[in-house]
Amino acid sequence: MTDSKRASDALNEREKTIRPVRRSQIYLVSGLVLLLWAVLPFADDALIWFWPRYGAYYWNSWFVANDGLYFWFALYVVSALGLVALGACHLSRNSIRLFDRRTLLALLLIAAFGLVCCHFGRFSPRQQTVFWQVYITLVYLTAGLRFGYDFAPLGAAIIALTLIGYFTIPGVPLLPWMAAVNGGALIVGGFWMRRG
Amino acid sequence: MAELDDIIHQPLRLKIMAALNALPATAGLEFSRLKKLTGATDGNLGAHIETLAKAGYVSVEKAFVGKKPQTTVTATAAGRGAFARHVATLQEIIAGKQG
Amino acid sequence: MIDSRQASAALADIDDIVQRVKQSQLYELASLAAVWWGVLVFAANLVTWLWPIYAVYAWVAVDVLGVGGLIALRVFDPKSHPFGAGVGIRLFLIFALFFAFGYLVTNVVGHFGPRQLGTFWPIYFMLFYTLAGLWFGYAFVAIGLGITALTLFGFFYIGEAFPLWMAFVNGGGLILGGLWMRRI
Repeated sequence: MTDSKRASDALNEREKTIRPVRRSQIYLVSGLVLLLWAVLPFADDALIWFWPRYGAYYWNSWFVANDGLYFWFALYVVSALGLVALGACHLSRNSIRLFDRRTLLALLLIAAFGLVCCHFGRFSPRQQTVFWQVYITLVYLTAGLRFGYDFAPLGAAIIALTLIGYFTIPGVPLLPWMAAVNGGALIVGGFWMRRG
Repeated sequence: MAELDDIIHQPLRLKIMAALNALPATAGLEFSRLKKLTGATDGNLGAHIETLAKAGYVSVEKAFVGKKPQTTVTATAAGRGAFARHVATLQEIIAGKQG
Repeated sequence: MIDSRQASAALADIDDIVQRVKQSQLYELASLAAVWWGVLVFAANLVTWLWPIYAVYAWVAVDVLGVGGLIALRVFDPKSHPFGAGVGIRLFLIFALFFAFGYLVTNVVGHFGPRQLGTFWPIYFMLFYTLAGLWFGYAFVAIGLGITALTLFGFFYIGEAFPLWMAFVNGGGLILGGLWMRRI
């Protein structure tokens, strides 16, 4: 009798604490993920724009572009590892998992598929920019749905603007365009989530 | 407090009713599938289905698919009602012991 | 009368069995879908191998028949699937998005050759199959990763007979995988 009371009390206590913690976790993760999504491409595009000499090389030469590509992958790998480390740290502090194994595996599979696509397509930097932008936007759109955010209009707008830029803006000026699209998306997306 | 349903209370019968209740109104489960889901043996499962059928909680249909006999078990409206009441009682027990 | 701990245990049992029923229904539906796509993909790959000129038509037909079949499965069998009604339209939209992105990658942004196309679509398809499996059941993961690995192997190491290889790996793999799922 006392046993079962204690058990159900403990259960209740857990229910009460888990809900807000889960919510804050979701905010934390989506915040980080937004950062990864928007700040990194923005920084990269802006960097190339403000150092035009390097930018022109980056843009025009496949060899240099490949170096740029490795730089990109390195950046993403470091960010991903950072997220994992943060998750592990969070886990040990609150004994709650920030990322479960499924999410990590899913992200790994999605990234691997993107790489395979790039390999098959022999994409130029310009095509890479558009491909990853559209691909990652679609991934966030679906992930957002899982957490109850309907990013569909925002996602559709990003994809449309990206494609418009791809077809109508020749050469390097595509980059500030993409930076603007990304930055705008970050701001709008942030407000969207606060409102939700 | 409402009484627990003695027929449903038995662990295997509880599982059978839970599985059938999870299906839409007119859908049933094949005997072999039910066996896999509940992890019961042939004889045991058969006996408990009969108990449930006698109480009017499930209906049993036998048909032949080719040369193989196939038994389909479906929860009746009475069975679904009884199961819902049983679950409500279980929840009452948990809630009642707290306060 | 029983105490609240036994009552909790009983409720946990109920939850467990409901979960298993839903899983088994999902597997049944998914296995039908997998076998259906397997047959279509096998046929289309054979056509691609035997009469390459007709390959384009064959694949368009497969896509239409395949998606149509899945939607028909949803529409005509509404009582036995674990999700609510109205899934048909959402399913259609998801497929539309799926094909739109695939088209964008292979024809608008990139310009994939036949061999790359033959590899891209199966592993693209299998990516979602595998991802779904992470949440719904590891049978999907096993089938998805297996077919992806064999497809990539074929892309890099099989020469002329690549469509034939794909007929067996992708078509045959889906059929076997679908049948295997029924046994779980």
